[in-house]
Amino acid sequence: MAETGCYLYAVTRAGTTSPEGTGLRGAPLVAVEDRGLTAVVSEVDLTEFGEDGLRRHMEDLAWLEEVARAHDDVVRRLAAVGAVAPLRLATICLDEDAVRARLGEWHAELDAALQRVEGRAEWSVKLYVDRADAAEQAKERVSREPGAGAAYLRRKQTESQRRQEANQQAADAAEDLHSVAVHHAVASRRLQPQDPRLTGDTGTMLLNGAYLVPVGDDTFAQAVEAFTTAHPDLRVVVQGPWPPYSFASLEPQ
Amino acid sequence: MTSTPVRGSETAAVSLVDLLDRLLGSGVVLAGDVVISLAGVDLVQVKLLAMISSVRAETEEDGMT
Repeated sequence: MAETGCYLYAVTRAGTTSPEGTGLRGAPLVAVEDRGLTAVVSEVDLTEFGEDGLRRHMEDLAWLEEVARAHDDVVRRLAAVGAVAPLRLATICLDEDAVRARLGEWHAELDAALQRVEGRAEWSVKLYVDRADAAEQAKERVSREPGAGAAYLRRKQTESQRRQEANQQAADAAEDLHSVAVHHAVASRRLQPQDPRLTGDTGTMLLNGAYLVPVGDDTFAQAVEAFTTAHPDLRVVVQGPWPPYSFASLEPQ
Repeated sequence: MTSTPVRGSETAAVSLVDLLDRLLGSGVVLAGDVVISLAGVDLVQVKLLAMISSVRAETEEDGMT
């Protein structure tokens, strides 16, 4: 039997959940309690989840995806029944005593994090601008204008001016959308816009926002939808509810 | 018609990039007993990017050497 450790998925309030089902590699979920807090863990093999194993596997996209999805799956099941503070991917302790020690050490911070996210969910709002489209439209407009020589230069200038204006407008729109979302959220975080090479999306992401919203409060969704309707030229993608990943950090916010 | 806005909570499969944004870039950070010296999300993103680019390059049969 290989050495094993405890993989931590999330911290919840004791008594709100009795984790059911399985986690990574089909291992049963276990509740480790300390003074009113529960860490939901499962046993993992340290040849896979020890330092060497992790270092090796973290570069394996298929492995990373499998573990990330299993982690997210457990966190979502817990979030469905109570407040949850998800842990960062691949947080591993050697045994349950070590887990209990972490809960004790960070009790106040974890309690505050749970309080912050209780009854709230995370929503993702992204804004894309399809630059290729904008450029093509500009080109089309230009090619319809007759003329040559000096007119060509003028057209080029107009084209570049239009593109600049479109860029500025899109950047302003991203700020506006963020303001609208912030106004209807309890907390917000702007994540790095994702690289189009990673997302495979043809557009440029100008906003990658995460917003903490009370569960059952429709005003956030309505406000974002109203913005979207008012800006038919922009692409807004709303996703959620997410477990409050972006708002459960232990640093004061 | 390329600018159809996506509304509401149509939950298409959550993308891996979105997931890693959150699972590596946020969440409760407790130092476990197993410590890996990842410089955080950036390094992983860079690796993902490299891997995805190389996969795409193969698919496109780029003659790059």
